[in-house]
Amino acid sequence: MGKTTNNGSKKPTVGIMYFTSCGGCQCEILTHANLLKKLVDLVEIKYFPMGSSNNTLETDFDIIFIEGSVSTDHDLELLHIARERSKILVAVGTCACFGGVQSSKNAESSLNEMLRYVYGDKIPTVVKALKPKPLKDYVKVDYELPGCPVSGKDFVLAVQYLLNGLDPFLPKMAVCYECKQAQTPCRLQASYMCVGSLSNAGCGAPCTFKGLGCYGCRGDHEDPNYKELVKLFRQKGYSDRDIYNFVKVFRGNYVREKLLPYLDLDIPLPEDEKPKEVN
Amino acid sequence: MAKKITVELLTRVEGHGAIEIVEENGKYKAFVKIFEGPRFYEYLVVGQNYINIPRIVSRICGICYVSHRTASARAIEDAFGAKIPPELELLRKLANVGAFFESHGLHIYFLALPDYFGYSSLLEMVKDYPNLVDRGFKVKNLGVEIMKVLTGKNFHGENLIPGGFANLPTKDELKKLKDQLEEIKEDLDETLQLVDSLKHPNLTTPREFQLSIYNPQGWDFYSNQLILVEKDKKTLFTKKEYEIFVHEEPVEYSMAKQSTVKGKPVLVGPLARVNIYKDQFSEETKKLISQMKTKFPSENPFHQNVARAVELIEARSLALDYIDTLLSDYPSKPHIELKPKKGRGFGVVEAPRGTLYHTYEFDENGYCTNSNIITPTAVLQTSMELDAQRLAESYSSLPLEEVKFLAERLIRSYDPCISCSVHMWSLSP
Repeated sequence: MGKTTNNGSKKPTVGIMYFTSCGGCQCEILTHANLLKKLVDLVEIKYFPMGSSNNTLETDFDIIFIEGSVSTDHDLELLHIARERSKILVAVGTCACFGGVQSSKNAESSLNEMLRYVYGDKIPTVVKALKPKPLKDYVKVDYELPGCPVSGKDFVLAVQYLLNGLDPFLPKMAVCYECKQAQTPCRLQASYMCVGSLSNAGCGAPCTFKGLGCYGCRGDHEDPNYKELVKLFRQKGYSDRDIYNFVKVFRGNYVREKLLPYLDLDIPLPEDEKPKEVN
Repeated sequence: MAKKITVELLTRVEGHGAIEIVEENGKYKAFVKIFEGPRFYEYLVVGQNYINIPRIVSRICGICYVSHRTASARAIEDAFGAKIPPELELLRKLANVGAFFESHGLHIYFLALPDYFGYSSLLEMVKDYPNLVDRGFKVKNLGVEIMKVLTGKNFHGENLIPGGFANLPTKDELKKLKDQLEEIKEDLDETLQLVDSLKHPNLTTPREFQLSIYNPQGWDFYSNQLILVEKDKKTLFTKKEYEIFVHEEPVEYSMAKQSTVKGKPVLVGPLARVNIYKDQFSEETKKLISQMKTKFPSENPFHQNVARAVELIEARSLALDYIDTLLSDYPSKPHIELKPKKGRGFGVVEAPRGTLYHTYEFDENGYCTNSNIITPTAVLQTSMELDAQRLAESYSSLPLEEVKFLAERLIRSYDPCISCSVHMWSLSP
């Protein structure tokens, strides 16, 4: 890869783009001094507005990394441009992969309700808001590096693999695996709310190590068992409302399909999630 | 004829914003347009158990997540009538010093410096100024290291919870931080000398109002008292009165609400703090300030970059004091138990960009019923606009492209955190 880019340059071209998000993934990337200092020799960073004032999208890209969820028409327009011009598109962090915390009420509220609550009837017109969604709801995403923020280790590995023309190897297994490796006592057994058994490891389980439950910022591993976990939470005395509130923080776009079938909660479908009638 | 200067995408800032300056018949008007997507944070926390709140609001901002976590935890404790022991407060303060190092280090080196050296990014400077780039990483990453020890992760660490911490850092971890803080002194002195020696664009914008958390004993980001400085008049008030002084309102051209004091812009952040505290810094910092080319109080917004370097020097000496106290009086337990009760709580903290305010209302079981968050960037929007107007007036004889570049640098000097500003506030039900 990188030998035959269309822009006449020998170095692979890279972009780091961000949509609606906290900027935390880029902060995490910016802590890796050695990677970044090497990277400026190996690739041409053509688009990185948070780090540079010299940016262009009028070129072909080998890889574009995107942080953030699609939350405005402006985000969406940029996403289509990125997909069109880049050979490889990588979603970086939980917002880009799953929608992130800003989508935590997506299963229960319509965009209109959220906007009304916030702005009353003075909704700004500077940009058209969209319900926060992951990149893959709109375009094909080649690789996902989940995490809130992205794990720096994953990012460095992915960059290395991609620059060598290889598929990044990112195994999906439960956080429980990493707790066992670190000999962290089970948080669930200690009656903490913990969704580590549903969630994708790779973070090194820092939260459970500190004595908290895992809240699953990295999304699901390959075979999550929501039904069984709900049973366990109920045994520990948690109400269905508490279970829903905890799980939705990072899974707003997925709780309706994956969690709600096992809970005794009546959460009406928001207006904008209803299937549109076709005449 | 109206003419218009537009910077369509502000770069080397956090988030998505633009600036537009319009001239008509010799009068200038500036608009800071924020088109970051809405994040609905106050709406997201409503209905949530208090325990999940710091975790959610942390995600308002990657750069200053420690500030948001601290302000929310303090508001929750306030609502439940709980007071955490002073040793745990010290650990929280230490985490916030980490946030200052990370945020100010990022701003000075990665976001601001390239303009002064004629580059488009710090990474572009690696070949020509390797030592400078290394120092930038070192200062910023010490902040990241401090935050990681206290919160458990570089960013969005979960360890800082209502009631204190889930787990205490070890004494060895604190000693290691102490060594690193001792070691970084020279780098901070050099950082201050560097930013002081730079050629800052001239711009004078007298402030109607400046605001900061206030502690009569010296520079502080954690007290519950605030000070509003209006020319020679100083008003002290408490966190509970914040919304009486600072009023916010939505505007059509920005996804962030604008905040004002008596309808006028109010300066918060490093320059306001250094202006307010200039005579109350430690002897060491005062001595350094007296040797500087830049004089405080300053009315030049570009001196915010110098003020950041001053704050890092003061923050370092405070952090060393905190660690010494903690090592001799190590906390006996990581947190206190909280008992939810119905009511409202308030939490303030000086975030690197300025005063940050959180308030929540809870029902008797600790579920949030209402909330409001006022971020420094939302407060600073009107100051940025006023300064941009003054800049366009002062530099009206320059070619448009140069004014545009200066306007972009001006906004950058505020280090706006646009993601923070669009967290949105709620309407009381």
